[in-house]
Amino acid sequence: MTIPAPTRTPTGSTVLDLVLRFRALGLLLALAVLVGATASVNARFLSGQSVRDLLFAAAVTVLLACGMTTVVLTRGIDLSVGSTLGLAAYLTADAMSGGVPVPLAVLIGLLVGLACGAANGAIVHFGKVPPLVATLGTLYVFRGIVYFTAGGSRVNASDLPGGFLDFGNGTLLGVPYLFLIAAAVLAVVALFLRDYRSGRDLYALGSNPEAAALAGIPAGRRLMTAYALSGTLAGLGGVLYAARFGTVDASAGYGMELDIVAAVVVGGVAIFGGSGTVLGAALGALLLTVIDNALPVLSIPPFWQQAIVGALILAAIALDRLVALRAARALRKKGSHVG
Amino acid sequence: MLLELTGLSKRFGPVEVLSDVDLAIDAGEVCALVGDNGAGKSTLVKCIAGIHAIDGGTINVDGRPRGISGPRDAAALGIEIVYQDLALCDNLDVVENLFLGRERRRGLVLDDDAMEQLAAETLESLAVRTIRNLRQPVASLSGGQRQTVAIAKAVLWNSRLVILDEPTAALGVAQTRQVLELIRRLADQGLAVLYISHNLNDVFAVADRIATLYLGRMAAVLDAADTTQSQVVELITSGRSGSLGLIDTNGVRP
Repeated sequence: MTIPAPTRTPTGSTVLDLVLRFRALGLLLALAVLVGATASVNARFLSGQSVRDLLFAAAVTVLLACGMTTVVLTRGIDLSVGSTLGLAAYLTADAMSGGVPVPLAVLIGLLVGLACGAANGAIVHFGKVPPLVATLGTLYVFRGIVYFTAGGSRVNASDLPGGFLDFGNGTLLGVPYLFLIAAAVLAVVALFLRDYRSGRDLYALGSNPEAAALAGIPAGRRLMTAYALSGTLAGLGGVLYAARFGTVDASAGYGMELDIVAAVVVGGVAIFGGSGTVLGAALGALLLTVIDNALPVLSIPPFWQQAIVGALILAAIALDRLVALRAARALRKKGSHVG
Repeated sequence: MLLELTGLSKRFGPVEVLSDVDLAIDAGEVCALVGDNGAGKSTLVKCIAGIHAIDGGTINVDGRPRGISGPRDAAALGIEIVYQDLALCDNLDVVENLFLGRERRRGLVLDDDAMEQLAAETLESLAVRTIRNLRQPVASLSGGQRQTVAIAKAVLWNSRLVILDEPTAALGVAQTRQVLELIRRLADQGLAVLYISHNLNDVFAVADRIATLYLGRMAAVLDAADTTQSQVVELITSGRSGSLGLIDTNGVRP
């Protein structure tokens, strides 16, 4: 029996691994450079208050990026997170101002998010509607519901319980509670994706839906899980939003979905599904928030901010494409020469 | 007989894709299934795999009639299928692909170490030495390596019948030889193999018996040793060869 010697050429995988690992490193590096440069211009950028503000701003983005990652992994996208957040924030704040106890009101926010997510999942799975279209639809529907419920009124901070607002603005050893919650959710979702069968199934579904079906993976249940998780986290984001700002009107979270998608893509979660980590997405979210806060300090006009975010997205996608091309080329080379 | 099909038929609407097909496969043999495009090879496989429900006839496994209504049922009977389009997830690594949908768990958590070890043992038992790194994504493997992973995936589960749908269609010469050797090894280990191919050289290189489908009917099941390629070609193209094959004119209905 003759078996040719195994290939000794460096395979595409090592290159692939390097770039993929490099992605997280690259993000950290970009963060470090940006923070370093900004701090050298204005040392106050690293002051406790400034860092706290940054973490406050990042908390909700990180939270939603976790949910978005699980959806994008399945080749989906959830454009309705901003509207879901707005709906949950308004209904939670409204309930509290109406005298509903805080835990119950928080539960309301989470359930609203869950319901929105489940609706998305059902439309995508049972309706066989492409996720982009389905969640674009629910983006407007959920926002419409907020406008209808709020009807131009808003909930003011003075209507909310003091303890709730204190929590929203409180810190533990200088770290906002909100950020701690986001970090805890991040850890849980990361573990879920890495160590649980249903987490791995999401990667399989995004990587090759047909193969996943042949392997007996329950696509419907997994998709529902992903969208429900994204919705619930958006609901939690709404609660945190209310706690942080106190004042909630119908436009809460307006346009936020694009920031989240940007964070996830910059964080190395492939928009075609099947690859990426929540840690990367969270780093992406952090990077975008830091850019947001650093540009004024560097006295760069704010409209550059959007251009920079856009450039980062393009760079991230170009990198994905490059990795894919390199892998394909390595594959062709091996296919023709090696047995 | 491990697997015995009797009078199997299947139609899609008015089109009779399989009609009255008999086939039996025993442990330790490689049975090739050949036929022209549209002869019903893939449909037959999908019937055995439970993807298509059959319209008539019986499927016996171990001499007992079985209703197979899905891939899970087939797997429970020890029947595994390696699909033409491979059904691997590119972004997952070799171990993750081998255990896809059937991961080992310790408690509720995936047990990656155990899976990696079992994967290494399985590849070892198949004398596969072409895959070095079990943790590399399948996207970075060559066609032959991917096929090896797909086949290893099928034998990981104490399977008894492995069905291969055109496993060498996209491979080069050396890779094809490797896969054929692997197929032979499966049979030598006591598995039954149903091997679908268009390439008669490959078929004659590895098969013990050759079953020829012609327009949805079983033209003949012959011992490879007593058959010539030209006989098989005639069976494939016209459903008969000399005294062999379908008795009535041919499968074409006027």
